Amino acid sequence: MAMALELLGVSKAFDGFQALAKANFAVEAGEVHALLGENGAGKSTLMNVAAGLYRPDQGRIRVRGREVDITGPVEARSLGIGMVHQHYKLVKAFNAVENILLAQGAARYGTGLAEVEAAIRAQGEAVGFAVDLKRPVGSLSVAEQQRVEILKVLVAGAGILILDEPTAVLTDREAEALLVTMRALARQGAAIVLVTHKLGEVQRHADRVTVMRGGRIVASADPASLSAAELTTLVVGATTPQERQPAIRIGGAVLSLQGLVGARSDGLRTLNGLTLTIRSGEIYGIAGVGGNGQTELAEILMGVRRAQDGRIVLAGDDVTETGPKPRRARGLAAIPADRQAYALAGDLSLAENYAVGGLASGRFGGWLRVDRAAIRARTEAAIAAFDIRGARSTRQKASLLSGGNAQKLVIAREFADSPRLVLAHSPARGLDVRATADIHRRLREARDAGAGVLLISEDLDEVMFMSDRIGVMSRGTIVGEFETPADRQAIGAAMVHHA
Amino acid sequence: MPEALPVPLLSAAPEPPRRGRLTVEIRQHATGWHQGLVLAGGLALGMALATAILLACGVGLSDLIQEFVVSVVSSPASLSAVLIQAAPLAIVGLAAAVAFRVRFWNIGIEGQMILGAVAATAVAIHDVGPAPLRLVLMMLVAALAGMAWVLAPALLKIRLGLNEVISTLLLNYVAFNGLLHLLYGAWRDPASSFPNSEQYEAAERLGELGWENLTWALPLAGLLTVLCWWLLNVSRFGFLSRVAEANPRLGEGQGLPMTRVMLAAALLSGGLAGIAGFSICAGVEYRMTQSFFSGYGFSGILIAFLARNNPLGAFVTAILVGVLFVAGQSLQVFYGIPGAMVQLIQAVIVISVAASDFFVRHRVRWVSGRRSDV
Amino acid sequence: MSDFIVNWLANVPAFALPYALAALGLIITEKAGVLSLGAEGFLLVGAMSGIGVLLGIGDHPALALVVAAFSAALLSLVYALLVVTLRVNQVIGGLALVFLAQGMTGVIATRAGWTNRPVDGLQPVPLGGLGEVPVLGPILFQHDILVFAAVPLVALVAHVLGRTMFGLRLRAVGDGPDAADAAGIGVAATRYGAIALGAALVGLAGGYLSVGVAKIWVEGMSGGRGWIAVALVIFARWQPWRALAGALLFGGIEALIPRIAAIGVALPQYLVLMTPYLATLAVMIWICLRHDGTSLEPRALGIAHMREERR
Repeated sequence: MAMALELLGVSKAFDGFQALAKANFAVEAGEVHALLGENGAGKSTLMNVAAGLYRPDQGRIRVRGREVDITGPVEARSLGIGMVHQHYKLVKAFNAVENILLAQGAARYGTGLAEVEAAIRAQGEAVGFAVDLKRPVGSLSVAEQQRVEILKVLVAGAGILILDEPTAVLTDREAEALLVTMRALARQGAAIVLVTHKLGEVQRHADRVTVMRGGRIVASADPASLSAAELTTLVVGATTPQERQPAIRIGGAVLSLQGLVGARSDGLRTLNGLTLTIRSGEIYGIAGVGGNGQTELAEILMGVRRAQDGRIVLAGDDVTETGPKPRRARGLAAIPADRQAYALAGDLSLAENYAVGGLASGRFGGWLRVDRAAIRARTEAAIAAFDIRGARSTRQKASLLSGGNAQKLVIAREFADSPRLVLAHSPARGLDVRATADIHRRLREARDAGAGVLLISEDLDEVMFMSDRIGVMSRGTIVGEFETPADRQAIGAAMVHHA
Repeated sequence: MPEALPVPLLSAAPEPPRRGRLTVEIRQHATGWHQGLVLAGGLALGMALATAILLACGVGLSDLIQEFVVSVVSSPASLSAVLIQAAPLAIVGLAAAVAFRVRFWNIGIEGQMILGAVAATAVAIHDVGPAPLRLVLMMLVAALAGMAWVLAPALLKIRLGLNEVISTLLLNYVAFNGLLHLLYGAWRDPASSFPNSEQYEAAERLGELGWENLTWALPLAGLLTVLCWWLLNVSRFGFLSRVAEANPRLGEGQGLPMTRVMLAAALLSGGLAGIAGFSICAGVEYRMTQSFFSGYGFSGILIAFLARNNPLGAFVTAILVGVLFVAGQSLQVFYGIPGAMVQLIQAVIVISVAASDFFVRHRVRWVSGRRSDV
Repeated sequence: MSDFIVNWLANVPAFALPYALAALGLIITEKAGVLSLGAEGFLLVGAMSGIGVLLGIGDHPALALVVAAFSAALLSLVYALLVVTLRVNQVIGGLALVFLAQGMTGVIATRAGWTNRPVDGLQPVPLGGLGEVPVLGPILFQHDILVFAAVPLVALVAHVLGRTMFGLRLRAVGDGPDAADAAGIGVAATRYGAIALGAALVGLAGGYLSVGVAKIWVEGMSGGRGWIAVALVIFARWQPWRALAGALLFGGIEALIPRIAAIGVALPQYLVLMTPYLATLAVMIWICLRHDGTSLEPRALGIAHMREERR
């Protein structure tokens, strides 16, 4: 049987970094084909080549056995290739119909709108999707936006569907429903490529799996023929499994939040009377689907966003009305989710990024003169102590570090003064297995040294693995607390029922 | 254990020919050498274009060399004219550099110069304070007036997020009309009834150094340059300004006073611009005219841009722009080249350098389009 | 008093039209995600080339306006090259363009000897008796062709941006260039087009300033109107009809100044001349205070696009 899509010997480099090295990939009609690998393995890059967004430096593409030259998204679409990107390619100010009309490239606006709307309704019924067609897609939930994306691809008549990490932003239940829909589409003859880093999805839903590592294809197999351990080894290479390590000694409260109320910049209230207490020596994990107030909670805790109501007591002092400086003086360390926002400046050197932390302490000189030698020495020591790789010099720009090493630099700075409270928001997002293990080890060390750790993560597995206590966050409050070891099903149910 | 199947090797089909193409990628890191080379290339391109424009306007190549090179190095009078011109240019260059250092786009330098000159002239006209301290007082009020003129845009940006490019620019026109109001009204020179202020008295002029016509304006510019260099490159304020430039949210999260740093830099910029206005009135023209500031705002931006906001670099660049100003004046007198030519040349050079910067930030690569040997 | 009001209202269109045309042009450019600080420069180029046609070729006001629009569009390609292809910071690029235009128009006009030479310029459309009707005649019917074309032009731009595929694509490029790109729309080509089209309208506004209103070329005659137009677009929240309303507001203020002087009220002339700039500033502050002024801003405004960006 002819393959629906074949990518042969595809190579692609970005600014000297080899993202793809002679990668081969093939999917046939009627199958759900998982493309598995870690972040940065090249999965998305490879699929972007198929979708016409990236042009390969080398390699060939065949669609239904015919050699093609995909020079852009239009060619890809006309060949029946449709991709649902991880970051949705939607114009947020447009509604669903306008977005799909845009992608369809109709000749006339007025008649086009009507045609597209009819097509959306027909396709929506066929796959069981209901989408609000009138509201700007930016105001829809992520799950709805994803449905718009999928409908866009289906309305275009794609027979080859590529979904890039489609379940990353969905609840377990939404994810399951989506994958069942994809299975149904495959049964009708579509070729489905499921780009993912989740082993469970591969084992439950894929007919075939291709594994990528470091821009190369390392295997292509029937997932039923492989155990989870074997798949893991293929994905990350040889690793040592990690064991859960519970708290050693739990002390008194270091942070107590009482009835915290907060809003996003656009005024939408996302924290609704959140109350929780974190004790020294424990990791308190907050589980929940993204967008339920986690970002605002982290920003309010850091002191860069004001709470509208409620109290924050840090190490015995009410810091509700203060900015970051007094909080840091009381032992707050923060690892924010968006490294490029509050954690690092890519254009500054490693030394400068390290020194912003200790500037107020005076150890890097006074107001009249910054002691560059002291900064350099301390940064070099931190690079060695925290095993930051890829740092040729302390004057090198921070943007040149890989995600894991950048995160280690943040931790080195934040942990320089033995924190009493560590705020870690998705600290391992986008990191490979080794870096994740390193970051987790640092968090546990801080806990065992007596700090309270607040771990906010959308990755339930991470929360389950790391936490001593778990709070489920939904719509801006803690809707359930669990002592570990906790029941994954019960936590999942708490997340869904309040969503 | 069931073994993972190897990737199927597919047979090679006949290949249609494919052309190579250029690709553009973001460059993560450029070495100092690379940056210097690109900057030099951009400057060379700009100067070549400027030369072409002047040649097209009928100035001979040998005349250009004479005006731009020979006279500057051979004649002390020309050299001194260049340095006199360079002093206020250096100060406005510093004013722009300090503001741009925290990404505050102060386009209102000319307005702040006007305010500074007006304040200094008010002190001069009304003989405020004892004569020996008069100059210091004039400079001080000039700085304060320049700061006051930038305060509103700075606060509006910080508090309301109001775009400072537009607010500072609009205030230029307000300041200019205010200047005309004074010069066509209360401050019109009673001696000549021309629309300028009356002549400054001796105590209100920056004294001569004793070599050609050089005044204390040049050492003043030098001193301010060193001070700005210390502030931006040595002190903690400089470190904070680098954080504010690269990512103010990083500083905020660490509890660093990013807003105050931005406000301070904006005020310093306005103060320097005010001093620049003072230095032209008290060091060159010895009165306030209705166009003393003209063109300096843009030149300040150009100087800061070419010097990459480095104060020492700004001083050197100011001397080069001074050559352009002086040569432009003699081209105007002797060759009938319009005065706007100086601005045109500066714009061409800025555009060339800005365009060349593309090759610092990007990597352009030729992809042969060859098939892989699968 | 009624004479005063009639005279004032009759003069409003001439003062408002440059703002309206420039703001329309800026809306087109900015809807495609390109910040347009170069407006002051395009006004100057349009103003000078319009006069250049009248003095150099002959008394053809229509041709002068076409050339004004065309020259600004031509110069805008330099801007497009800088900010779209070479991805230069759009603030720097826009400022550089204004300075380039100031220098260029100064040099060309001086060398060609176009400065301070009055021309006949654009004349009112003869509408016979209509112009003689008391009160309404001067206010509504003693205007040149461009004034009458203004409202249809605003309607056209509003329609094209809002109700055509071209407008949909243009807005997509300004609101979500990644999405537009994935939909197969040429982001760079669209932006080049939006820049040139927008600059043509701003150039037309400049041509109208010199050919239609002042009927003379003076160096720097745009006098900051380009910057006011930039502010006006923010005030109009990128909507053509609101831009027309804003233009009438500003034109109304500006038209008031000579009227007050004409009836013999002694006002400090230069202080009065500050008012348009102060009014603009006040309006911008008011917008910022009243609501989130950026909420209708094209999301990708001022951001260069590149597909193969990878972090």
